[in-house]
Amino acid sequence: MQTRTKLNTIGRNTHRKDGIGKVTGTEQYASDVSVPRAWYGGVLRSPHAHARIASIDTSAAEALGAVCLTFADVPRVKYNERTNCAPPHLYRDRYVLDDTARHVGEAVAAVAAPTRALAEKALRAIKVEYEVLPAMLCAADALKDGAPKIHETILYRGKETPIEHNVAVTRLIEVGDIEKGFAEADSIIEREFEAAPVYHAQMETKSVVCKPAVDGSITVWATTQSIHNTRQLLAEIYGLPLHKINVKKIAIGGTFGSSIQMNSVVPICVGLAIKSGRPVKIATTREEDMYDHCRYQVRITLKLGFKADGTLVAGHMKTTVELGAHNTQGYHFLGVIAGFWVSLYKLPNMKYEGTAVYTNRTPSCAMQGFGAPQATFVTEVIMDEIAELLGRDPVEYKLTQYRGLGDTFWGQGPTVKSIILSDGVPELLEVGAKKIGWDGRPVPGTQTGRFRRGIGMARSFHCSGVGQPRKTGAEMIDYSGAIVKLNEDGSIDYIQSLMDHGGGTCEAIAKLVAEEIGVPLSMVGISDVDTNTTVYDITTHATRGVFAGGAAALKAAKSVKAKILDYASQLLDIMSESLVIEPSEELGQGVIYCPGYPEKRMTLGELAKYLHVNSWGTIAAVESLHPVTAPPAYVTYFVEVEVDTETGVVKTLAAALGSDCGTVVNPGLAAGQLTGGLSKGAGCALIEAHQWDRQTGELASKGFWVDGKTLSILETPLLENLHIDFAHTYEPTGPFGAKGIGEASINPALAAYSNAIYNALGIRFREVPITAEKILAALSTKKVRRTQPAQRELVNS
Amino acid sequence: MFAEFDLEMPNSLDEAVLALARSDGIETLTLAGGSSLMVDIRARRVVPERLISLARINELRRIEILGPRITIGSRTTVSDILRSNQVAEHGAALAASAEVFAGQMVRNVATVAGNIACGSPAADLVPPLLSLDADVVLTNASGFRTVPLADYFTGFKQDVRRPDELITAISWDVPGAKCANRFYKLARRKGDAITVTGVAVTLGAANGVCTKARVALGAVAPIVMRARAAEAMLEGSTLTVELIEEASLKAAEECQPIDDIRASADYRRHAVHMLTRRLVAGAWADLHLATEVS
Ligand SMILES: Cc1cc2nc3c(=O)[nH]c(=O)nc-3n(C[C@H](O)[C@H](O)[C@H](O)COP(=O)(O)OP(=O)(O)OC[C@H]3O[C@@H](n4cnc5c(N)ncnc54)[C@H](O)[C@@H]3O)c2cc1C
Repeated sequence: MQTRTKLNTIGRNTHRKDGIGKVTGTEQYASDVSVPRAWYGGVLRSPHAHARIASIDTSAAEALGAVCLTFADVPRVKYNERTNCAPPHLYRDRYVLDDTARHVGEAVAAVAAPTRALAEKALRAIKVEYEVLPAMLCAADALKDGAPKIHETILYRGKETPIEHNVAVTRLIEVGDIEKGFAEADSIIEREFEAAPVYHAQMETKSVVCKPAVDGSITVWATTQSIHNTRQLLAEIYGLPLHKINVKKIAIGGTFGSSIQMNSVVPICVGLAIKSGRPVKIATTREEDMYDHCRYQVRITLKLGFKADGTLVAGHMKTTVELGAHNTQGYHFLGVIAGFWVSLYKLPNMKYEGTAVYTNRTPSCAMQGFGAPQATFVTEVIMDEIAELLGRDPVEYKLTQYRGLGDTFWGQGPTVKSIILSDGVPELLEVGAKKIGWDGRPVPGTQTGRFRRGIGMARSFHCSGVGQPRKTGAEMIDYSGAIVKLNEDGSIDYIQSLMDHGGGTCEAIAKLVAEEIGVPLSMVGISDVDTNTTVYDITTHATRGVFAGGAAALKAAKSVKAKILDYASQLLDIMSESLVIEPSEELGQGVIYCPGYPEKRMTLGELAKYLHVNSWGTIAAVESLHPVTAPPAYVTYFVEVEVDTETGVVKTLAAALGSDCGTVVNPGLAAGQLTGGLSKGAGCALIEAHQWDRQTGELASKGFWVDGKTLSILETPLLENLHIDFAHTYEPTGPFGAKGIGEASINPALAAYSNAIYNALGIRFREVPITAEKILAALSTKKVRRTQPAQRELVNS
Repeated sequence: MFAEFDLEMPNSLDEAVLALARSDGIETLTLAGGSSLMVDIRARRVVPERLISLARINELRRIEILGPRITIGSRTTVSDILRSNQVAEHGAALAASAEVFAGQMVRNVATVAGNIACGSPAADLVPPLLSLDADVVLTNASGFRTVPLADYFTGFKQDVRRPDELITAISWDVPGAKCANRFYKLARRKGDAITVTGVAVTLGAANGVCTKARVALGAVAPIVMRARAAEAMLEGSTLTVELIEEASLKAAEECQPIDDIRASADYRRHAVHMLTRRLVAGAWADLHLATEVS
């Protein structure tokens, strides 16, 4: 393992540059942008789950003074909102506005008016005649023979391609020979799992402001995880050259993946602005947002074969994914479930069959973990069960089977392979087990009182980005660019289009830049930028922000540093290799000096000023970077729960969370990621589920928080019972040894809770959320019918 | 949603009831904290043309004890209740429910009258008040009348209040020493969650016998209801584990829950059984007449 050199800012808790703005409410989000003469936009949404628009009459709305937009007003360009996949893997099935509504809440028409009140009045004045079509509200209905089609055809690889049986996409992935593998197995276990769709519940709903100019160009402020992808897609739809579309980078109030795609209101707002010739702003309501996106509903059957000594020999996974009304990324999602599954444990023979189905529900999109929470749920619950069958401690057993140092790894799907070079799993499991009191955990099913306690463990990872070594043929686009510039006073502008969801990504990258060049963090500014003044960055997704985006900025910082040293070498008459730059707290500057010749020194400010006054030019660099690895950011969870057998309510008593994110750039914020992961993860494990009315296709919550509940801070264990540890690892391919953390922090939650509840009650739950009602129902059937000994459920081969 | 309405802000109770009397066919509603009404307006469940705000009427915001009665002004907020030693002493269940009511921001504006008048079977202050045999004072331009809370609700979101009447106070008898009062709210999470089942229990005792029993159930019927059959089983007896279990089962039988997104009817019935058992046993233990029954 490489040793670390002395670090000045990385690894320290520092004040966030955007912190004061956020806590004082002066930070600007898209909905805060106010442009003179702007009108308010609003969207009319379908009350039906599936309906063709027979007619639409906007005259009354127009008579009120509103500008209206219907499918007849927008370019008939079919697109996919999320353009992270390489073009051959894009499934295009939507328009800005369409003549068919495919889920309740889908946009049908839009208006812009001088006031919000008038815009709402105008929306109510639009008359739509719907021809209501049969709605398929679950996969079973959509797959039925002769079920009406949700999409007749979609645009795929340049051709209108028919969709059969509402199956949007299937994937078959095979490694080795499972027939042979299962034949070699001493035991085989097969289990079925289900994870409910949930709402992202990010703080900010989607907003967009579009300002058109007389030359036909537009400026856009939008809630998005990628300003460049938003720009490219708007160009594709509205037929504008890229330079005429400027998308501004602006703070985001969290996304959890829900703005990975260009949000559906963005092109609508652009359409309204172009039609009205005025700036238009749309700020969606929470109800609109809940109807706009959710996490995929996933059903998985997993069959695993293993030897008497526990060695896994074969695995067969079948997955059905419900997409909702649009296929935003079904192909990729099916691929990552396979990838996350096979990268958790060594499996010589595997077969994976995935099917993604359209339904007339809210479209699903990426959400923190993107398939890993579900794949981990299935795998870690089965592995817990196998360990028990073998009479082994799950921690010890898993350590013999997992993919770690030196193993091949392809978390993001079969085209993204690399070798694991850093691995903190053994360390984290040891620390976590100690802190939670793993060895003192109860024997499952032995407790009798009202309150029963249990400890569960699960481990997972997320890929740091989707980097891979191949030059062509990748499923995903994955590169970042950055500009770093030395200003005339020795301060640095860090210029990057990469978005910060609120977790402090750009802050961490500023630290990498400060560290590399050798200036105090206070001398690095995070620039307020847009697409016109930055180079491309794919998206802040896939836990790639610091690892991949940061690596690009680091590359630019390195170029800048080399130029600084080159100029300083001339001015100080010292070989550049002998010069060092170090931050000086005292001077508030970077200082360039030669360790052997203390008099040979100057501040970065002096150098920059010299270059400026003598017209030597500006030191700046622009770099792009495609990472060639996507190393696993491991996370381990130990949770202790208490189940109230009278009410079925599960309380989290304690948790020990471990993260292997390589070098920890900002400990406080990294710990915050884990705490957040636990909170949302516990919600998904215990209470959260989007439900749709089987008759109307409406959300049971109707889009209101009142019933669309997540857990809150009150359910998080108290600080003294919340242990957070970081592994002491260094990732050779990461910037300063760093990997990712964000998504990884939620991935083990479902499994850890299921295993903990099993430990408390002796009952396995393979369907999340594990609600109080499900627990009570299981407890009462258990009383009646004594459970079969686990061994009996095994098929011995 | 955007809503347009006229807002009137009377300075006294007299002005307020006069303003209410002068509705002239204009859809008029009273606005207290707005934590229920503004939600309804935004969702267009109601479209009032005129709102009469009680925000300036300080005489309606008070907690006082006069002789044997404790009285709470109708505009007293949930936070006021939480801060009151008098309520803590003479309405333990009410204080307990204020503690688990919504979140801090809502508690600061939500009023007692608003909680009653919104008519929700899940209104958290109602079961405790019902278990304390509280009365509601209704006032209009020509005077006031007092209605027992037990007779106030006539059906789901329906009550005996006339459109020109304001709720001005809620009052109940200061309970004696031999009286215990408990409340528990079961919800999907701890803060800001609608009650799945709420139970309030008041027990009075003399000479080892339960002389008075009130079991009020929230969110398990069209209105907050009393489990009168269960109460009857408890009154006049010395409570035992078996009797408490029987009475709790009876309460579960009496309630009329529905299935909704928050819970199934079966779960709610089960919760009534469990919570009633736990609260009655706890209240009985409070009276130092028995040891805690688990
Ligand atoms: C986030 C959130 C969480 C909540 N959590 C809870 C909870 O945990 N438990 C709970 O019980 N409720 C909860 N509520 C609902 C609401 O806060 C309560 O019902 C509250 O008590 C209403 O009081 P208010 O003063 O805000 O009433 P308003 O909203 O002002 O009025 C409610 C109704 O009462 C009428 N009204 C008000 N005052 C009078 C009066 N003096 N005379 C006659 N009619 C009157 C109004 O016309 C209106 O119809 C919550 C609401 C929100 C938004």
